[in-house]
Amino acid sequence: MKKLKKEHLRILFGGLTESHRVIGPKIEGGVVVLAEIAVHDIPAGFEDRQMAGSYRLVTGERPEIFSFSAGPDSFKRFLHPPVSEMFAFKSSRTAIAITAPDCQGKPLAFIGVRACDIAALKLYDKVFLGGAEKDQCYESRRKDSLVIALDCSYPGDNCFCHAMGTGPSVMDGFDIALVELDASFLLEAGTIAGQRLLDVLSLEEVTEGDMKERSSRTERCLGMMKKSIRTEDLPGLIYRSLDHPRWMDIAERDLECGNCTQVCPTCFCHSHYDFVRLAGISPRAREVSGTRVRKWDSCFSRNFARVHGGNFRPSRRARYRQWMSHKLAYTFEQFGLPGCVGCGRCITWCPAGIDITREVEALRDVR
Amino acid sequence: MYDKSVPFDAKVKWTKKETRDTFTCALKINNRDIQKAYRFLPGQFNMLYVPGIGEAPISISSSPLDHDLMHTVRVAGDVTTALSNLRAGDMIGMRGPFGRGWPLEEAEDLDLLIVAGGLGIAPLRSVARHVLKTHAAKKRDAHQRRMLLYGAKTPKDIVFRDEFPRYRDIFEVFLTVDRADPEEYWRGEAGLVTKLFDRITFDPRCTLVFVCGPEIMMQNSGRELILRGVPEERIFLSMERNMNCGIGMCGHCFFGPKFVCKDGPVFRFSEIEGLMGIKEL
Repeated sequence: MKKLKKEHLRILFGGLTESHRVIGPKIEGGVVVLAEIAVHDIPAGFEDRQMAGSYRLVTGERPEIFSFSAGPDSFKRFLHPPVSEMFAFKSSRTAIAITAPDCQGKPLAFIGVRACDIAALKLYDKVFLGGAEKDQCYESRRKDSLVIALDCSYPGDNCFCHAMGTGPSVMDGFDIALVELDASFLLEAGTIAGQRLLDVLSLEEVTEGDMKERSSRTERCLGMMKKSIRTEDLPGLIYRSLDHPRWMDIAERDLECGNCTQVCPTCFCHSHYDFVRLAGISPRAREVSGTRVRKWDSCFSRNFARVHGGNFRPSRRARYRQWMSHKLAYTFEQFGLPGCVGCGRCITWCPAGIDITREVEALRDVR
Repeated sequence: MYDKSVPFDAKVKWTKKETRDTFTCALKINNRDIQKAYRFLPGQFNMLYVPGIGEAPISISSSPLDHDLMHTVRVAGDVTTALSNLRAGDMIGMRGPFGRGWPLEEAEDLDLLIVAGGLGIAPLRSVARHVLKTHAAKKRDAHQRRMLLYGAKTPKDIVFRDEFPRYRDIFEVFLTVDRADPEEYWRGEAGLVTKLFDRITFDPRCTLVFVCGPEIMMQNSGRELILRGVPEERIFLSMERNMNCGIGMCGHCFFGPKFVCKDGPVFRFSEIEGLMGIKEL
């Protein structure tokens, strides 16, 4: 582990921008989002006030550069874009031509990835690369990407990563890990690619005082975390509660907007559609051309589980249950990883303020 | 191998109308290399793609030993309607095969009971044809019994009606309909397919059961057979869900924690019995 003076962060950025698109936090529309940024875009000094169903950005007193917590965006917007082309087609009655898109762009470097999102990234890798079939576009984007992780100095008001065992400190799954101290950053390389980036920086040795400061910061962050989930036998609780009356209660508050699935860093569900070009359609020869695209979908949408002649989840109650059960129970069986990483985004961005931690507590109540 | 997320082109060899709303189409994979690499098991499915309209998951209704690769489709939505308008020589897209098929290796030295409801006969026809073909190759074990129970809505809705005489060579075949039209001659049973369990005698300790049909029919059949002493590990069901990607990424086919597209569609009853009773899972 080495130390970098805060003002030298731009040198790290400079090294990155040559070869990568640097994706990091930036203010847009009063919200910290992820976008391609330069070092001065980082909204240093801003603080976010989050509540169930509320997010406000204020200028605060915190001295850190990364003084804010995670906004609605996560890496998934870039590695698994909301809309992406699968292939272009041109077909007639007797021939079909399919051309695969080029998903090789400038490689991505994610800066300031929190521990919760690293846990989510691990799940994503299992979904898209862990099976017999791999998602080739995800693979090419992921393989060249750099993850520059960051220990949280402050938790968001809806965070509960300590309960899910994912944060607030980054343990693994990074190329470079950053820890922000008062005057400097601690840096640790996790991969050879990360080490290469560190080699060109003028780094200092870490002192015992720095390590002390680091652990006291982690302690402080943990102490500030307001929310929690009791995780003992969580999947078991969900499997036992599939007929719990609480689901009906949630369904009455739920608006089915799907915000939670859009902001959740582990939600990966999507649908495929044909986008047909109007030009050159000839019904008789069945000539048609267009693109097949993949779009984020949400298990809250009414047609998500629809098949011809029926819908497997017609009720809102069942759709909410599907989402929460998937997060808290099913992913353990499917991928051996938690589907909820404790980032609290679904709580903040739910217009009805439904709080997953409180709903789990309600499920624990003996009927 | 080839990429299963991108369709390859397949030519329609012939189509055949089965009933008023079902038809069978035989496809031939165009690309030589894919054609050689393409291997499927009875019970697996393909995604059939009509460019500009969309994809539908369709079970393969022929045996791997058949010359033609067949799909039997019920006209239900946009894609299946488009498929029903295909003529010989037309080109469509196809991806697959996907999922886990019927455990035919377990049927080697057990009696086989096939229970089908409605179009659920399609993936089981693949088994029946496979048994017919392999039976011809090996000497029949006189003690091995094969039974086929099939329920349809009305006599007119019996799919593959012309094929049952051939299956009778090897299978004990029993047909039933929910409602027999009095105008039409019908000498089979009337009532649910589970009623046919009373018509057959079988040894529950050495019978392997494959069930495919509407979920409630499979659930009732499974429970009924367990009551009759069939171990729940020997009962297999083929589940239906909204299959979209076929490779366990899109999330549409979740049945509790199961990806029906890759963990299924064929499940051991003991794997999913606990999930089956829960509404809207």
